[in-house]
Amino acid sequence: MGRLKQKGKAGAAKAYVTRTAAVRKLQCSLADFRRLCILKGVFPREPRNKRRANKGSSVPTSFYYAKDIAYLAHEPVLKKFREHKAFAKKLSRALGRGEWSSAKSLEEHKPVYKLDHIIKERYPTFIDAVRDIDDALCMVFLFASLPTSDRISPELVENCSHLASQWQLYVMHTRSLRKVFLSIKGVYYQADIMDQPVTWLVPYQFTQHIPLDVDVRVMLTFLELYQTLLGFVFYKLYTDADLVYPPPLDKVKDDGAAGIGAFTLNEMTNTASNLSGFQRTGKMSGQKISGKDVRRTIESIDNSMDENKGDADVSPQEQLIAEADEDFIPQPSATGEPTPALPTLKSLAALPRTAPVNIFSPYTFFLSRETSRPIFEFLIRSFGGRIGWPASSGSGSPFNEDDESITHVIIDRPVVEKMKETEAERNRRLRRKYVQPQWVVDCINAGNILLEEPYSQGKTLPAHLSPFEIYEGAYEPAAADSVMNKQEVEEDDSEEEESEGNEPKTGSEEQRGTEAVTSGADVAGVLEEPGALRIAELAAEVAGVDYGTFERGIAKSEKRRREKGKVEGEEEEEEEMNKMMMSKRQKKLYERIKYSQKKREAEVSL
Amino acid sequence: MTPKHWEQQGSKRKASPDSQNEYEDEFRLTNLEILSEEDNQAASSDDRWIDELPDINSSFGDEKTDDEQSQIDSVEGASEDENENGSDQENTIFPSIKTVVSDITGQFKQVLPEIEPEYDSDSSIEDDPNCVGNIPLHWYDDLPHIGYNIDGKQILRAARGDELDRFLATVDDPLTWTSAFDKNAQMDKSLTAEELDIIRRLHENENPDANYDPYQPTVEWFTGKGKEEIMPLSGAPEPKRRWVPSSWEKQKVLRIVRAIRQGRILPSKPKTTTKFEFYSIWSEPASSVAAPLPAPKLKLPTHSESYNPPEEYLPTKQERKEWAKMDPEDREQDYLPQKYSSLRLVPAYDQFTKERFNRQLDLYLAPRVHRVKLNIDPNSLIPKLPSPSSLKPFPTYMALKVNQSIHHIRCISISPDGCWAISGDEDGFISLWEVNIGREIKQWKFGGKIGALDWCPRVDVSFFVVCIEGILFFIIPPNLPNSIFSSTYALLAPAASSPAPPTSSPVQWESTSPDSWSPNKPILTVKLPSSSGVPNQIAWHRRGDYLATVAREGTQSGVWIHQVTRRHSQAPFRKLKGTVQLVLFHPLKPHLFVATQQYVRLYNLSEQKLVKTFMPGIRWISSMDVHPSGDHLIVGGYDRKLCWFDLELSEKPYKILRYHTKAIRSLHFHPTYPLFASSSDDGSIQVFHSRVYSDLMTDPLIVPLKILRGHEIRDGLGVLQVRWNSRQPWLLSAGADGTISVWCS
Repeated sequence: MGRLKQKGKAGAAKAYVTRTAAVRKLQCSLADFRRLCILKGVFPREPRNKRRANKGSSVPTSFYYAKDIAYLAHEPVLKKFREHKAFAKKLSRALGRGEWSSAKSLEEHKPVYKLDHIIKERYPTFIDAVRDIDDALCMVFLFASLPTSDRISPELVENCSHLASQWQLYVMHTRSLRKVFLSIKGVYYQADIMDQPVTWLVPYQFTQHIPLDVDVRVMLTFLELYQTLLGFVFYKLYTDADLVYPPPLDKVKDDGAAGIGAFTLNEMTNTASNLSGFQRTGKMSGQKISGKDVRRTIESIDNSMDENKGDADVSPQEQLIAEADEDFIPQPSATGEPTPALPTLKSLAALPRTAPVNIFSPYTFFLSRETSRPIFEFLIRSFGGRIGWPASSGSGSPFNEDDESITHVIIDRPVVEKMKETEAERNRRLRRKYVQPQWVVDCINAGNILLEEPYSQGKTLPAHLSPFEIYEGAYEPAAADSVMNKQEVEEDDSEEEESEGNEPKTGSEEQRGTEAVTSGADVAGVLEEPGALRIAELAAEVAGVDYGTFERGIAKSEKRRREKGKVEGEEEEEEEMNKMMMSKRQKKLYERIKYSQKKREAEVSL
Repeated sequence: MTPKHWEQQGSKRKASPDSQNEYEDEFRLTNLEILSEEDNQAASSDDRWIDELPDINSSFGDEKTDDEQSQIDSVEGASEDENENGSDQENTIFPSIKTVVSDITGQFKQVLPEIEPEYDSDSSIEDDPNCVGNIPLHWYDDLPHIGYNIDGKQILRAARGDELDRFLATVDDPLTWTSAFDKNAQMDKSLTAEELDIIRRLHENENPDANYDPYQPTVEWFTGKGKEEIMPLSGAPEPKRRWVPSSWEKQKVLRIVRAIRQGRILPSKPKTTTKFEFYSIWSEPASSVAAPLPAPKLKLPTHSESYNPPEEYLPTKQERKEWAKMDPEDREQDYLPQKYSSLRLVPAYDQFTKERFNRQLDLYLAPRVHRVKLNIDPNSLIPKLPSPSSLKPFPTYMALKVNQSIHHIRCISISPDGCWAISGDEDGFISLWEVNIGREIKQWKFGGKIGALDWCPRVDVSFFVVCIEGILFFIIPPNLPNSIFSSTYALLAPAASSPAPPTSSPVQWESTSPDSWSPNKPILTVKLPSSSGVPNQIAWHRRGDYLATVAREGTQSGVWIHQVTRRHSQAPFRKLKGTVQLVLFHPLKPHLFVATQQYVRLYNLSEQKLVKTFMPGIRWISSMDVHPSGDHLIVGGYDRKLCWFDLELSEKPYKILRYHTKAIRSLHFHPTYPLFASSSDDGSIQVFHSRVYSDLMTDPLIVPLKILRGHEIRDGLGVLQVRWNSRQPWLLSAGADGTISVWCS
């Protein structure tokens, strides 16, 4: 006989702990526990049987895995939290006694925790991290647009806006933006980073506010983690793209609201100043510098000489593509990671290019002052275009409005007749194309340059559709439009034919008439409505078909329909009968699947 | 200073040129309440006067020395003094006491001033009107008098004026407002100037004493110049520790110095606010621990979220209202689609931060469940069965519909050769008709509801049995071939009646006498004991000698087994658990199936014991049939279930089917074809293909073939009985709508 089993010693009762029990075990406050859970990514679990997990009680509580909590108990950050608690007590005591100098020294030695080990734990490989930066990007872009307050320090907002700019710079540099969607919530972007779709939402350029029912502490804790995560991810992305991270910031330009333009992307290998950085990476990976590297360095130095006079935006990616014909020497990446998903250039070349990345490269754009510069600067530069803007939208525009190379002007105001216009201005206006902002986004989503005409200034825009709704069976609003257009075209054709063939086609006309009739009858049969029949009759009368043939056609189509229906009915009946033989469980499953299918269909047909 | 000096000074004051000052002094004393600038002046004069006071004080000490001189002077100048100090003395209430040297004793003595009888006396008559004595006056508050005089007479309360008088007094007398009612005197008394002054001071939060000086100079008794203490309190010598440096402290400091030199103590720690540097965190190989599952991503936006969506996505007014009314958690979308004509008009989204926050709450507060997404084609769940068209023949269409009765047709039976059918309705009519064309040949009428009827399965004889309440009738159909008729007649009405059974039975067998018999009458009548009710079922044994009848409603156990050849009936069960619904003879073995409400039991009749109990799990069994092979049983119930039992396999059903929407009424296996049919109250008949394999390992194949519809539902009843034609795959059905249908293949 085995040992007696005791209640609560094994199974769900042991595997789960309630939140209160967890807090008591970790000996920290609830706020600290919450912070720890956020940082470590520990979340409650739903036990299969709640009563069993809660030792017989059915009070609604949240449960955590006991192992998760045991894992939190060894967390260095938890120790720091405890230190911080002691520090806060000491500080408040010193302040209460008016001991300013000791308070100052305490403040200087405030316990600070680092999150790098948590990042490494939560994202063991780089791909894991890239997969999970959606939320981080959304938060960083949101905080970059928040006003500072006593809870949100200016440094935090500044850091967030820098991270946002660095991300945009990287996306522009690697030309990895794929989809854009202007929604009522903000602008959705989707980029393809290491074959992972990364989607982020950026609010429109208005100051956001934190409503009262939002707990800022929670958001700030998340932001803390996200900032660290993004820092590490950017470091890796930048170094993999042979760029220096963090990119140097031009303080003057930044103060002049240059946005992305305040940063400069420095290649790691092209200048002597960055040689040390290169050596660092070389040391890290312990690899030799290959001949390929030397060649590339020389070339990039040449390019940097050219850059002074030429366009600053010739991306190294393009250069790499240009030299793709050369043999690619496979080498581990600078950081020595096993590179699970890094595509080699050859594989890239072999792949069919799904997303055209340089659709705007032949064009030069100018932003009108009412359009949002951060959005369109990012979009156009990500797809290879040049862009300028008026000084009111921020400093750093590469050219101004009277530049001769401008081909498109992105404008978002109604058309106004210009009274006083010089000849030169008029010529310039005629030479340029004035498009509304949606054109840019629709071009990106379509993957090619669309006609400017429907999007020109003052026109009512065509509907802007989501590029994300492309699963099978999705409702396509555009399809309905195209069907309508086709119908119109057909009608035109038939009219033409009728007008051109007046006398030589009596027989054929009749045939056509009957065809029309039968088709009309089909419609009537399908719709099974007396109204539809009546319409078909009228159509036949208009076509000049006598009533007998019409009747015959109707009867024929009726019969065909009935036969078809009979066969279908039999099959249906058979299926219905086969359903009898299903077991109860299968029947339920079947009904559930059918229900969801019907719901989806109803949604599409709506 | 001597009193003389005083006098001098006083005279000096008097002699001072401001005689006006004196006048003022007097004025001040009389009219204290009218204080104004003059008062200030007076105060200043007082101040001056006070300034001179220390002189008086300082000279206080040597007063005694000049005692003798001053005494004479004082006596002489007493009247003068009085005059002089009059201004002071007028303030005091009591007459001043003078100290004089007695003429008699030569000692000092105190002399009170003389009392003038007219004005100064206490006993002046007009003085005190109240002579009640020292008695609290509130004792008399409710009484008309205020006390008693010395003679014991009541002293009445002085009349007080009414409100009008009081008002007039305020008008007439300007001093009324400074007067107060004196309870002792029982009259209004105007306040004196001093009293008014006190009131004023209290009102202004001053000290009520007019002579109080809040700014008196401090008198230094122990401090100040020349009064310092120069002698030490203790005479102990100064301890050494006051001037020798502490070695203990030195040790401590040395220890710290040593620690600093060795680097154990850092004099100024570097600040911890250094900026965090990012590094290549993923350069080391990943640990073998699997990465935690990534959080589910947010849904991607649909067309309806566009700033310029197609028209069909815009909500109507009704939808808007409904959306606004819904709880935010119940909404399918957290936004309302909206259309803006241009991008510049799109406002900020007010729920942006809130949405982010909700996402974060989801991330750290919501339990996550790993759910396997079902990606099954629903049609793959439907079992693949052979097509019905490959399993022909089976009845597919209604060949004939005979309208027989206006009542429900309860039962139906087909002759073993398949040409004739009989049907019985609730009114007691039995019709015999031809199956092929539906022509009615003959009709019998019985007095009562027909419970059941059935043909004898023998082919050499031809008769059928009809049950009504308490009676079984054996009837020979007309137009039989002679040979069959004679053998039937011989069987049912033998010339030599068999010997009566030894045991007397409650069931009586009665033959009709040959001369009185006609085809309209039953040839044999079996009378069941009274109160046995209407037998609902007749089950023939395969050989056609035994038949069993079951009466459900009877008070006794309603199962009887009758033997035709021996004309004998017996009740096989003395006691049975539950009411018997149905019985069936096993086609091959001497076994009997007995169905109670919920169970089916199999009895061995020869050994008289229970073989097996089947549990179909049906609430109330309505019908049952056994497969011709004898190895399978189907049981139908009023709760729409049909159970297929493999008798060898288990007590539990092999298959449970639920396809009728209402109660199953009748089941029947085809005797030769692999078919069975079920009928239900929903008016439909379901035909199944049921192939049974002789191989024990192969499961029987059940394929639904056809749903036959054509009967109407009347009074909630549909098709009450179905019977197969034994030679053809044809089906006969009796409906509650009074029709009989023949279904052919």
